[in-house]
Amino acid sequence: MWRIFGGRKREAELDEELQAHIDIDAARLEAEGLTREEAARQARYAFGSRALVAEQTRESWGARWLTGVRQDLEYAVRSARRTPAFSAAVALSLAMGIGAATVVFSVADTVYLRPLPYPAPHELMFVAMRLFHLEMVLSPDYVAWRKDHSAFRELAAMQFHGGNPATLGGKDPAEVRVTRVSYNFITALGVSPAMGRNFEPGEELPNGHKAALLTDALWRTRFRSQAAVVGQNITLDGVAYQVIGVLPRSFIMPLEVPADILTPLAIEPAISHHDRSLASWTVIGRLRPGVTQAQAFANLQLLFRASKADAPEIFRNDVSVMVEPLAERMAGNARTLLLVLAGAVGCLLLIACANVANLLLARWSARSRELAVRAAIGARRGRLVRQLLTETALYCAAGSAAGMALLAFGLRAVVYFAAGSLPRLNEVKADERVFGIALGVSLLTMLLFGVLPALRAGRVDVQTVLQRSGRPGITGGYRAARRALVAIEVALSVVLLWGAALLLETLWRIEHDRLGFEPEHVMSVSIPLPNSSAAKANRKVLTEAMLANIRRIPGVTAASWGECTPLTGGSEGATFTRSDRPLPEPWHRGDTIAGCAIGPEYFQASGVRLIRGRAFAGSDYDPPQTLAIINEALARQYFADEDPIGHQIDGHQNGGWKTIIGVAADSKNQGLNQPPAPQMFLNDMVLYPGSDMAFVVRYVGAKPLFTGAVRASLREIDPGLLARFQSLDQAIGRMSAGSRFNGVLVGSFAAMAFLMAVVGVYGVLAFAVAQRSPEIGIRMALGAGPLSMQGLVLKEGAVLVTIGIVLGSAMSLIAGRYLKTLLYDISATDLRTYMAVIFAIGIAAMIAAWIPARRAASLDPTVTLRDS
Amino acid sequence: MVDYLLVNRIDLLHGTLDLMILQTLQWGPLHGHGIGQAIRASSRDAFQVEHGSLYPALHRLERRGWLAAEWKMSEANRRARYYRLTAKGKKQLLEEQSKWKTLVRAVAQTMKPIRE
Repeated sequence: MWRIFGGRKREAELDEELQAHIDIDAARLEAEGLTREEAARQARYAFGSRALVAEQTRESWGARWLTGVRQDLEYAVRSARRTPAFSAAVALSLAMGIGAATVVFSVADTVYLRPLPYPAPHELMFVAMRLFHLEMVLSPDYVAWRKDHSAFRELAAMQFHGGNPATLGGKDPAEVRVTRVSYNFITALGVSPAMGRNFEPGEELPNGHKAALLTDALWRTRFRSQAAVVGQNITLDGVAYQVIGVLPRSFIMPLEVPADILTPLAIEPAISHHDRSLASWTVIGRLRPGVTQAQAFANLQLLFRASKADAPEIFRNDVSVMVEPLAERMAGNARTLLLVLAGAVGCLLLIACANVANLLLARWSARSRELAVRAAIGARRGRLVRQLLTETALYCAAGSAAGMALLAFGLRAVVYFAAGSLPRLNEVKADERVFGIALGVSLLTMLLFGVLPALRAGRVDVQTVLQRSGRPGITGGYRAARRALVAIEVALSVVLLWGAALLLETLWRIEHDRLGFEPEHVMSVSIPLPNSSAAKANRKVLTEAMLANIRRIPGVTAASWGECTPLTGGSEGATFTRSDRPLPEPWHRGDTIAGCAIGPEYFQASGVRLIRGRAFAGSDYDPPQTLAIINEALARQYFADEDPIGHQIDGHQNGGWKTIIGVAADSKNQGLNQPPAPQMFLNDMVLYPGSDMAFVVRYVGAKPLFTGAVRASLREIDPGLLARFQSLDQAIGRMSAGSRFNGVLVGSFAAMAFLMAVVGVYGVLAFAVAQRSPEIGIRMALGAGPLSMQGLVLKEGAVLVTIGIVLGSAMSLIAGRYLKTLLYDISATDLRTYMAVIFAIGIAAMIAAWIPARRAASLDPTVTLRDS
Repeated sequence: MVDYLLVNRIDLLHGTLDLMILQTLQWGPLHGHGIGQAIRASSRDAFQVEHGSLYPALHRLERRGWLAAEWKMSEANRRARYYRLTAKGKKQLLEEQSKWKTLVRAVAQTMKPIRE
């Protein structure tokens, strides 16, 4: 490459010098009496191969003005350029392997290895009690523990499932996410505000000063980075808060909690387990220096014993406390997914390495004569190995560079598609760490595929090779090694293809499972209500006015209020009870059923079918909570052999017993990858007073027209409110995003792997046919038919593929254990999937084997024998 | 002396061709074709220099500074690359000649007992 300028002229001069030689020779011959043409012909003949002489002369250039590595590189570049297709195949295989591996390992690095973005992150612990499958701390216990603990420097609390949407008031109301935290929350994390001050202890009292901390992002977008905002008042859901500070730009909420604004929790210092304001919080502790996790756990157990003594009816024997490093907690359930991805990408990288090693071995065995000649004219073995390693390194560098280009693109794609399935994605970025990983992966690749073959190729036996001169094929070509590599490639692609097939089948099942409703043209509209009592009292009037407005919008065919959509269970869980059975004791562990208040037209609007009985009528709502419509899941579970209609259920909730008047079809009320949960619909406007005002609307026509009309009518009623829209199609898309991510990613890995394996099979057999063409020629000359030659090659291919498939199936069985949790409605040992994958690989590989086999059959014995 | 012979067969061969080229050029500049013809003639057809060895050797010697090259018109009225000995090359030739004589003497001595 550095020869481009000087090189051209030099090459031209060499060419002319050699041409001059021939011309002078021709002139001499002509003077001896030959005709001009004959003289020219003989001179050319006498000179021999001009290209060869030029090449050998060129090599003598290098000997002096390029030495060592530079010379090797020069040589490697030249030999790579001579075979562009081969070089591209090698570099591309490496780029795919390295790029994909680096993407996945970068994500894994962020999730597992990178310390949390807080000072002394190892001191941060997630603290919780395990209660009803939940991991949280009840508010009275938090208050008691914070007072009495000895293991922690700070024990901070955050609203359970924080990040509630709220309306940020102003000229142009906007939705923001607010998370309530204890006053010491950011202190515990080791963070202090970039501007302004932190919360003060008094601010977390129920009647304390209403203070708010803004995140940097919100401050920049919404408040245009104005420093003057500190000290000003803002309104959240109609309540005034004073902005006391802005968080640093680097601040990241722990545990993926979304937040634009932090406000203090309302903590009643004298709260007890018997108060109605009992709440659940997420608690994070920072250990005192030198305190271990075990010591902290012992301390908590002591505190928990006191809690138990205070409220034995809540804390049964199966409630326990836990302390877990915050980093592990945040990595959490991504472990399986990352393991699967790392396994998949590891397979892919191995296949790429095997493929490249295979290509290189084939090439080097074809070049064994060249290597032998170099050894004969004095190149030492170490020199040859160095030369081959330089070539390897060159390919590796080209592959890595292309891989890095893929990486930038791949990381962005992963962050986009994996949203929701992987934690800490907002911290993933292409930085020097990622570069380091890419470098590591590349070096690993080079070691895997480069060094061993190079060492082997360096050990040329000069004698043997030169004696067989002219027939490079018979030198063996590392046949065993290359076949083993191909078998491994096939095995690994069986694993990948099988995993991808299962994940894609999962995706298909999730998306095509019976939803139980018609999601097209259904929109859920929710309007957060201000927390003020006036708004609460006004709720009925507001809801009815809004519903009337929505019904007047052209295109709307049905509309109803409803606390749930077909994809959610409802606002409140209740313990199932029925009037003809004895009531269970309080706090018993009965099954929880979902409850949801709906309006009369809910079923028409949502598209959920009513199977039996009737829907609520407009006159059923006074008094409310007297009637119930249950879903099929509830009917199946609690009224297996009975007709549920007429029975009374849910006695100890508001309003007493509710009489069942209908049964509705099941819908995916727990999300797409869960079976429908038992659910009851009640004749009321709202069960949980904190619910948003919510409507389910079926409409025909364009979405923007609809949303625009709703916003306009809402402004008429109350300009301070804002409406959120979600079409059910959208919601379904978001819910299947995780499965789609798994399927698409592993699927594309598998596709690459499949391609490389098929190319590998083809390459090995095509090379074998080329090598053995003299042998095949002899056999055919001795009377073997073309078909038997074809069979010979096919058999070789079949043996390789069979070994690969058997090996791959065994590996799949092991991999199945990890894949299990990512699947839905299909078993990891699903036989049909196995058969399909084996069939696909078998067919593709045999087609790849058939092409060289046909070539073997069509060889002309006279030609092959003459050539050898 | 015997050790010297065993050092490297290839070196000896290379060295021999180099020596013959230097030797040929002491009578004046010549192009590649001429050098090949001259070596062949002076050895009475015993040495048939392959072009694949001759041209690399010429370029190598040029790089070492023992030869210099320039484009001139040949007797056949064609532009050709003429090589001539440099001062360094002349010194090298003397050195090589004395080396060669030592070598020949040594070989001759080694051979004697076998003949008897």
